[in-house]
Amino acid sequence: MLVNWIKRIKEALDLIVPPTVVLLSLFVIWEFSVRLTGVADYILPAPSKIMIEIIANISDYAFNTLVTIGEAIGGFILGVIVAIVGAIVMYQSRFLERGLLPVAILIKVTPVIAIAPLFVIWFGFGLFPKILIAAIITFFPVLVNCLAGMRATSSDITDLLKTLNASKFEIMIKASIPNSYPYLFASFKIAIPLAVIGAVVAEWFTGDKGLGSMIIRAHNNLDMPQLFGAVFILAFVGVLLTSLVWYIEKNVLFWHDSQKNQNKIL
Amino acid sequence: MSGCLADGEETVNGEPENIVFMAGYKPQANLPFVGVYVADNKGYFEEQGLNVDIKHSASGEHVKLLLSGDIQFSTSDAGSVLKQTSSSGAPITAVALLGQKGQQGYVALTESQINSLKDWEGKTFGYKISLPSDYVAMMVAGGVLRENIQEVSVGFDPRILTEGKVDILAVFKSNEPDTIRSLGYDVKVWDPYDYGVPTLGLTYITTQDYANINPDIVKRFLKATLKGIEFAINNPEFAIDIVLQFAPESSAEHQSFMLRTEIKDARSDYTDKNGLGTMSDSQWKSLYDHLLEYNALENEFDYKESFRSEFIDGIYESGNLVWP
Repeated sequence: MLVNWIKRIKEALDLIVPPTVVLLSLFVIWEFSVRLTGVADYILPAPSKIMIEIIANISDYAFNTLVTIGEAIGGFILGVIVAIVGAIVMYQSRFLERGLLPVAILIKVTPVIAIAPLFVIWFGFGLFPKILIAAIITFFPVLVNCLAGMRATSSDITDLLKTLNASKFEIMIKASIPNSYPYLFASFKIAIPLAVIGAVVAEWFTGDKGLGSMIIRAHNNLDMPQLFGAVFILAFVGVLLTSLVWYIEKNVLFWHDSQKNQNKIL
Repeated sequence: MSGCLADGEETVNGEPENIVFMAGYKPQANLPFVGVYVADNKGYFEEQGLNVDIKHSASGEHVKLLLSGDIQFSTSDAGSVLKQTSSSGAPITAVALLGQKGQQGYVALTESQINSLKDWEGKTFGYKISLPSDYVAMMVAGGVLRENIQEVSVGFDPRILTEGKVDILAVFKSNEPDTIRSLGYDVKVWDPYDYGVPTLGLTYITTQDYANINPDIVKRFLKATLKGIEFAINNPEFAIDIVLQFAPESSAEHQSFMLRTEIKDARSDYTDKNGLGTMSDSQWKSLYDHLLEYNALENEFDYKESFRSEFIDGIYESGNLVWP
């Protein structure tokens, strides 16, 4: 048991140490560059100033971070549900796929900045328009990957199920949807940081809470340490949520070749 | 070789001084923008030995570009100058005050029957980003209980009012009231200034360093732009035609409304005596004290750093612009 614990600790350190060393090195270079050149805080603050700003206002940052995370996760869940339902509908027929895919692409390419103010008018200024914007950004990569995963089901498996008199619905439930899981998790790793961006952009147009609102206020007041503080925390949130997806994937898809290969690499 | 200008100041080798002015927003008939457009069009900059490259801010980058030395002059709201100096110690300074009253007002649809400040109670008030300090002060002045008002951040789209999502909306007096009227709605406008709230509007800004090193250029820039503003006041239609050269997609009627509104707010008893653009210590102190009282400033600082009136004062004699 002790050996297992040591092995787990080593695996965790193997994951955490390399990026930490790289990031710390970058911060050190940044800190020295700012100090040597004497750049003013309102142009580019030193990392030490940013950390002091975060620590001095930790409760503000914590509150606003929770607001943004809530909007991002809410949007992610909504986007994923709609995307999976959309993929299942499109899976039923090529006609439906060819009909609905352009609509999905239209949603994808519509600039969020253009429609965010309209969402406030249509849906009010609570949490819902922000969740909706995060959902719109999340939707497309999940839809495309889910559908690709379902269509990539091995013909050997579908043929086998057909010989057992499985219906089209049963084939979808027993084979196609499970086959899409690795594809789904791959799309989740893309979609979750996008959901965070969506929540932040939504906060720029309405709301006086959240990291996006902090960024706008800091920008207006030329408070660069606060602006960068919010950006740093957003980056941390993005990494945290993506790591969470990785962790869930590792436990849900432990049986899949992709996880076995990943373990070999590590 | 050198050329002479007013007051015996000389250009270097007869060449005009190259400077960059960046307006704090897109091209439109804000009074300080108009002063620059007209000065450029009528050759006033040329007469002052200046070659001015006119740019417009897309997303609020103008102050940072000013601080990095990429531009020499810009525009900013007086309250923003104080807030930015308070937050960051940024050495920006206002050299002329074109808004003797603040830009912000508050509107309700006439059909809403909201006629007095007391009628705001029980209603929903929408502000753009942060709760404005002049709104809070106006509520205090009007004896209105804020706990009976739902205050929400709604962004910048005025349709939030016409669609009934809010009952009262924070606006720029020279902009949204006309936009809302163009949508077919009449509005009632409240100005915090009318309730004794100290507010100030747009300024020309530069950096302390630039002003210290180039006082003559600052004066020449102000001479040319204030002459441009005088021309615009006397020839508003011509001025709008010039604005439309910079903003061809805009409506002439809307730009005309903007200019008329801002010309009205550029005048006060002080400017009638001392000249357009001039400013007093008491104006800035009152605004500073108000912002401090309502927690709109992060830190206390010497408010006198935020404005320098020697340049604008130096271009007038007995309230008349000295030209050239």
